[in-house]
Amino acid sequence: MTAAIPIEVHESGDAALRVVATSPDRERNWAAVHALAAWLETADVDGVHGAVPTYDSVLVEFDPYVTSARQIRAFVLLGMRQLDYVGTPARTPRQFDVPVVYGGTYGPDLQKVADHEGLSVAEIIALHTAKSYVIRCLGAPAGSPMMDGPDFPLPVPRLKDPRLSVPAGAVSVAGRQAVIAPASAPGGWCVIGQTPLTVLNPDKQPLAPYMPGDLLRFHELPADEFDRFAGLELEASA
Amino acid sequence: MSGTLTIQQAGHSVVTDLGRFKGPRYGLPVNGALDQFSARAANILAGNLDNDPLLEVTALDFRMRADSDLLIAVTGAPLPLTVGGRECPQWEPVSVLAGETVALRGMNTGLRAYIAVHGALDAPMLLGSCAPDTIVGFGLKLAEGTVLGARKIVPPIRQPYFDLPLFRLGLTRPGTSASPVIDVTDGPDIAEFGDTADLLFNTSYTVSGRSNHIGLRLGGALPERQSTAEVLSRGVPVGAIEVPSREELLVLHRGRGVTAGYPVLGVVTSRSLDVLAQARPGHTIRFRKTTVAEATARHRAAMRELEALRTSVNTVFGLLGVGAPASWRELLPASGT
Repeated sequence: MTAAIPIEVHESGDAALRVVATSPDRERNWAAVHALAAWLETADVDGVHGAVPTYDSVLVEFDPYVTSARQIRAFVLLGMRQLDYVGTPARTPRQFDVPVVYGGTYGPDLQKVADHEGLSVAEIIALHTAKSYVIRCLGAPAGSPMMDGPDFPLPVPRLKDPRLSVPAGAVSVAGRQAVIAPASAPGGWCVIGQTPLTVLNPDKQPLAPYMPGDLLRFHELPADEFDRFAGLELEASA
Repeated sequence: MSGTLTIQQAGHSVVTDLGRFKGPRYGLPVNGALDQFSARAANILAGNLDNDPLLEVTALDFRMRADSDLLIAVTGAPLPLTVGGRECPQWEPVSVLAGETVALRGMNTGLRAYIAVHGALDAPMLLGSCAPDTIVGFGLKLAEGTVLGARKIVPPIRQPYFDLPLFRLGLTRPGTSASPVIDVTDGPDIAEFGDTADLLFNTSYTVSGRSNHIGLRLGGALPERQSTAEVLSRGVPVGAIEVPSREELLVLHRGRGVTAGYPVLGVVTSRSLDVLAQARPGHTIRFRKTTVAEATARHRAAMRELEALRTSVNTVFGLLGVGAPASWRELLPASGT
């Protein structure tokens, strides 16, 4: 049994609550909100639609006809006490390897990011491919794998004018986060490359092959090899 | 016995339901009918389950032909509804004979109408819902000539007294206004906007033409975030009010991306999200502050009204011999009985 993780519960309308873990330890906060989301799913609480865990918070959505923010708040506090007692179950992470063509039409913001960081394009690519990232959560759009960003000197600002459409496979960075877009969607993050792999298959269950906690590493791919990988689906390599 | 209908003019229509409630966990928006009250009411009036697949018609003219006898109900935006050229009431069950055309034309008050077909429509499912997801590219595509399967055929309900409406079910229809008042509870990040948060309630906002099922974009005086710290991506509720740019206020609706890095100033109540679903570009909106307790009470009152409607529908259908929704029995052809 470990020390309790402090949480805050914020009202978020009549059909949702935001629970934020506020310990100084980011890893523990992340583990706690994901464990809470899993607990809520297992508990199958009447009226709870589901939970969206991200980095340090989880959004709990519910049907206000069946239950209420007050009742869900009580469930959340109960869940946190139970998790403090049993601890969070560890799962062996899987590894995903993602080939990326950087720059050019594949990554229109690569030069801009390099300029902002005061680094060369080659250095940006080297940092981006330097290590495996933990997939922290599945987010927008379409179950994107959201990760901690590369060890750039500075956080990357979001675009002033978000793009109306970013293609599927776009590899982007913003703030201290990194992501792959599984589907074409509007986007305000800096696109530095693109993977030819198909990330998401709506005909499959689950839609995305990865889960929070899995590891993902980017590898540089020469532009003339993009087509060789096109259409292949992203799969765990270990 | 199952029937079919054929789309003659798709306009901007989809087959949907109340939403993909298991989606957000996997990064997919809930989507589904934007005016949930009207969608539920349509299904109840057609003797269906609240969550059965039905048609959502947005803004543009729509026509479909019944290839077999059907029982339908049309709710949502008020409009001239015709069946086989006859004008028919909305918010009531309506018999449609095989070969007749159902037309929804000239929608100019409200933005979305719902057509429920007794027995529900057949549609492919993803994570337990047929609601289209425009980002993933999931959902039935409707076009001229698309044939939809309806799971039941309902021979015409015989109306003994000519000119009298078949049903008077007494549901209070939601009003539609070109200047609706929208209830909002404080968002979890309201403090980030300091004193400027009050602007939300002292200003009127105009609905932009760039609004859609993902969110409504509103022009007007904008509250301003007081800090510039990077925000980690977080789950955002449907109804979240954000200020992502210096030009517009964004009110997220059911197609919203489930995570975002913008602070949430306020959250539109479940009841008022239905009202926003009917707001047309150019309409003027005012926001009114409310509490979660008050919002919950209003939502529950509306749901109880739908429960009462369900009871009336069951009774009426039972008396007419159409059968109770729980175990529909097919009517024999009316001739010779």
